[in-house]
Amino acid sequence: MSRILKSYPVQIVLQALLTILAVMTFTFVLIRLMPGNPIEVLVEQILTNEGIAYEEAYDRVAASFDIDPNASLLDQYLAWLWDLLRLDLGESITSPGTRVVDEILRFLPWTVFAVGAGLLISFVLGIVLGMLMAYYRNSSLDYALSLFASFMTGIPNYIWGLLIVIVLGIHLNWFSVGELRGTYDPGLTPGFNLAFLWSVVEHAMLPIVTYVVSALGGWMLNMKSSTMSVLNEDYVNVAEARGLQDSRIIFSYVGRNASLPLFTQLTISIGFVLGSGVVIEEIFVYWGIGHYLFQSITVRDYTSMQGVFLILTMTVVLANVFADLTYGWLDPRVRISGER
Amino acid sequence: MPGLLRRLIRGWTLIRGNRAGLIGFLGLVGYFLLTFILPFFVEFDGSPKLDEITAPPGSRIQLAVHREDAQRFRSLEDLAGRTVGVVTQTGGLGFIEPYQDQLTVKRYRWNSRVRGPGIELALKDLANRKIEAMLIFSKSWEDLVENQADPELHKLLLENVVISNPTLGPMSLLGTDTQGRDIASHIVHGGRVLILTALIGGVLSTLIAVILGSLAAMLGGVLDQILTALTNLFLAIPRFPLLVVMAGLISFENTLLLGVLIGLLGWPALMRAIRAQVLSLRERDFVEAARSLGLSTPHIMFREILPNMISFVSINLIFSITSAMYEQVGLVVLGLAPINDYTWGIMLFFGRTRGTLFNPDGISMALSPVMAIALFQVCLVLFARALEEMFDPRLRQP
Repeated sequence: MSRILKSYPVQIVLQALLTILAVMTFTFVLIRLMPGNPIEVLVEQILTNEGIAYEEAYDRVAASFDIDPNASLLDQYLAWLWDLLRLDLGESITSPGTRVVDEILRFLPWTVFAVGAGLLISFVLGIVLGMLMAYYRNSSLDYALSLFASFMTGIPNYIWGLLIVIVLGIHLNWFSVGELRGTYDPGLTPGFNLAFLWSVVEHAMLPIVTYVVSALGGWMLNMKSSTMSVLNEDYVNVAEARGLQDSRIIFSYVGRNASLPLFTQLTISIGFVLGSGVVIEEIFVYWGIGHYLFQSITVRDYTSMQGVFLILTMTVVLANVFADLTYGWLDPRVRISGER
Repeated sequence: MPGLLRRLIRGWTLIRGNRAGLIGFLGLVGYFLLTFILPFFVEFDGSPKLDEITAPPGSRIQLAVHREDAQRFRSLEDLAGRTVGVVTQTGGLGFIEPYQDQLTVKRYRWNSRVRGPGIELALKDLANRKIEAMLIFSKSWEDLVENQADPELHKLLLENVVISNPTLGPMSLLGTDTQGRDIASHIVHGGRVLILTALIGGVLSTLIAVILGSLAAMLGGVLDQILTALTNLFLAIPRFPLLVVMAGLISFENTLLLGVLIGLLGWPALMRAIRAQVLSLRERDFVEAARSLGLSTPHIMFREILPNMISFVSINLIFSITSAMYEQVGLVVLGLAPINDYTWGIMLFFGRTRGTLFNPDGISMALSPVMAIALFQVCLVLFARALEEMFDPRLRQP
């Protein structure tokens, strides 16, 4: 038993769970300590809309809440933790009856689709272009691509988004910004039909392009420096001396080894891109998890915010676990030294 | 002092050899002049001018006269003793102030066929020679003369009225915003707070990273374990969403305070890198030598190790500044940052929310701050990458 507990994968997973718990505790306390109370927000709304007495409005709002915001922080935390163990994220504070889990399941897939597609496309493109830059280093192609890459990494992704909207959407009129709100055209039935799938791709297109443009430069520059250090390795010289085919050297020797460190960075960047999705999804009015988070903040919906944080933290931590566990499989050298 | 000078000269020779780095460096110098020096010379335009709303870049006040006077009246001096029409609530009134004693000024109200004589009336008066000249904004000229919908009026104006001096007023370089205020003056004044906030965030996070990273690596033991665990914890926090939540709930009064918050959250990744650097430097011979000489740990840290990391730290400082800028402006775009300073971010926010995005004439209101922020970031990245190449000979050589 203790040998199982001490084995590498179990250790990593345990550590990950602890990290998630710690981060959630931290954000729980932080969010609850912030000024502004969801009850007050709702009471204000009712007061302005219906004009009833403050106490009456307060009681009505408090009664409709799933949790008691006046309970002590510790009680609230324990209650939340107990629910979490049963995989229950509670109900939305401000719209009672809506379960946070359902809401997250409704919004998350769109974000996963857009962010995932954006990251994959930029990663593959970046590896190809980065290797090109390394092979043609100090040529004008290399300089042009380097400058291009600096522009792409330097300019924030939401600025890219705004530029796309302003220049392509409004000035050149390539697409109608207004029609691309949401995640698919209203009136289409979600399902496996061509019209729906096309609509989904159409609506995700702009966020995806934004994610690709803003992430591509980083992959290119990293892949270039990684490739350049691999090109100096002895095994590449030996492979060339053995007269192996160029394509084989490029793909199996240089490409595979040079892209290894980038896989770790890919898992790290997932967290960053997911997080920055809040702004991107607001700019394109794309209804993903970032949009959901922003909506919850405006009404101070603690449980929903907490739910989104759990998902984001879990994604970051699990991506790291995935990287740790698969790295040995991707790079046999690490596996061997680990066993010794 | 000569030592410092020599170093500066050496740095300059190095950066001059790197084209991209030179562009970045000169760009940063330009930004410094633009945001810290130019505000002393350019006044912030805070007065709404209704006739100049969302004027496209390059718009200006022009002098319109009767066709027969086109050769005679080219400047306000030529018009001494004559009657000039000016539309109130435009930049024109302020423009004519120095000449007020020499001219008879007839005021027309802006855009009010109901409330009083408007620009169209002024143009008609000019066509009928009731006034001898008129100050008109180039966009109004376009709208009311060239694209006049009323065919009769169109004919009358075209036959009788011309622009005799198209460059009478100063050109507003970037056009005007939804209140007719000069965007260029906002760009000049809107960078300082934003850049200072980014600097605070970047410097603070780098400072924390250097202190914690070197403490962990130099002292080791339990402290190292605690600090490393803390760093791993902070790394797993979704930082930008957390900032969004905190900024949304606290609603800051002061932009600079936001920089402090950004700095307090921004250090973990760099701390790990610094710790690794110190760990490897610690094993070098010169540190061993210092240790066997019995020098104290602070001495070793500040005199032996830190100087060897200075290039690494300064490059990462620049990247920290870019990410502080990223986070800060991201919050502004969401409308969660303080709006008491009229920064590029706030311009961008208003440019987006006031619908100017969808008005081809008003595009400058959103595009100007976008370009100001984007180019600032690009300059920083170009400069940092050039530093990287300068400090790391492996990257320089093919």
